[in-house]
Amino acid sequence: MTQDNHLNYAYYPGCSLHASASEYDRSTRELFNALGIGLEEVPDWFCCGATPAHNVDELLSLSLCAKNLDLAKQVNNDMAVACASCFSRMKFTQHILNENQKKRRLVEKAIDGPAHIDGNVKHILEIMARDLGLERLASAVKKPLSGLKVACYYGCLLTRPPEVSKLDDCEAPSIMEDIISAAGAETVQWTHRMECCGANFTLSRPGIVVQLTNAVLNSAKRAGADCIIVACPLCHGNLDMRQEEIEGVYNTSYALPVFYITQLVGLAAGLPAEKLGLDSLMVDPLPMLKKKGLL
Amino acid sequence: MKKKKMLLSSKTMDVDFVRKVEELSGTSVRRCFQCGKCSAGCPMATFMEHPPNRIVRLLQLGQWQRILAGRSIWYCVSCETCSTRCPNKVDLAAIMDALRKLSWDKKEPSKEHYVQLANRLFLENIETYGRQFEMRLAAVFNIKSGQFLKDLMLGPKLLCKGKLKMHQDKNRNIHEIEKIFQRIREMRSKGEAE
Repeated sequence: MTQDNHLNYAYYPGCSLHASASEYDRSTRELFNALGIGLEEVPDWFCCGATPAHNVDELLSLSLCAKNLDLAKQVNNDMAVACASCFSRMKFTQHILNENQKKRRLVEKAIDGPAHIDGNVKHILEIMARDLGLERLASAVKKPLSGLKVACYYGCLLTRPPEVSKLDDCEAPSIMEDIISAAGAETVQWTHRMECCGANFTLSRPGIVVQLTNAVLNSAKRAGADCIIVACPLCHGNLDMRQEEIEGVYNTSYALPVFYITQLVGLAAGLPAEKLGLDSLMVDPLPMLKKKGLL
Repeated sequence: MKKKKMLLSSKTMDVDFVRKVEELSGTSVRRCFQCGKCSAGCPMATFMEHPPNRIVRLLQLGQWQRILAGRSIWYCVSCETCSTRCPNKVDLAAIMDALRKLSWDKKEPSKEHYVQLANRLFLENIETYGRQFEMRLAAVFNIKSGQFLKDLMLGPKLLCKGKLKMHQDKNRNIHEIEKIFQRIREMRSKGEAE
């Protein structure tokens, strides 16, 4: 555990981080450990319901999140969430149940008890940029990411809607750029950092995802980025896992490695590549990192 | 093909349904003045027969059957761009949720089966395992949608990268989760909840 008792959190990884986005989980734990931030996993947390639950059954979505918020609060009043979708659902639940007493009563009936939902829900970006602070983050950098041009991809749910997520400006955020700049990288200006990648349509309508994600990759490439960073397992799945397929469909080549932000910051903090799960990425980042002298 | 005209009559107008949508979503469709900003920013508008602003217009006119019969509400990806940008604070993303819920509950036939199937399997997995089991989700989706070869080539690659978990333990809180599902069903059967 850390000496600094301010920076301890109940950690809610979410389902993806225990499966297809295991490198996000791993790199978050390793990086936070190196930064002296304590993460204690919420015991027996369960799925937040994500988009499918709120799409067809708001009461179920709110109840699942309220119960998870309750479990987290038993560990720590401050909760750290890495997945953008889980983060959004937790924040929505707090927002809706605080505004609508009727819905709150129904949820309390469904979970058979009071809804303890007033803990602080924080995305790991906020923890790095604000709770720890950019100066302390920069002082932890051992191998600055010099010469690396990074496209920061926000996607949808980190910043929208602003009155719920309260993470950053909803049209011109800078939190990811601030963090990765503190790690010594350059950032590019590009058009599609807030555009949707198609998210969970990757299962039901992959054709739509290919089209939307292609626009994102194309924009990052045109801006001269060496790589893209994300803070959401769905964004990552679409940009990284589907990149080869997209290149085939559009007869083009992007070869753009897509990192979780914690992987690149972890690299800058001097953590070895194998601890950050860089070998789990579908678009192999090692040649690019070696060429840039970062490995 | 003859182009269908938009016909309005008292027969196709149903204001009660619209009030229900407003109540569930906590937003008023009457606030919309049709600027079209929602559709301009919507990543899915090109795939919809009724883009978001027209959905609101149809609701204003009580023409909900037209909405539910199409695919548009199921093509909304919940990116929240429309709700974020609306100058009149119409929470369109919440309206979409309310419409999907009403369509889902009514078991109204929609042309869009794949998105609904994915949602159903996702929720089934939560009730069964407590957490999402991605591998099962994808496999059962392929079987039930008859697309046996969909993303088949990705499988081995994901497995090599350690991204595919072949087994999902039941959550130790599974009884708690089952009870939540059960209580909600009971509340609905008693008419206490929508």
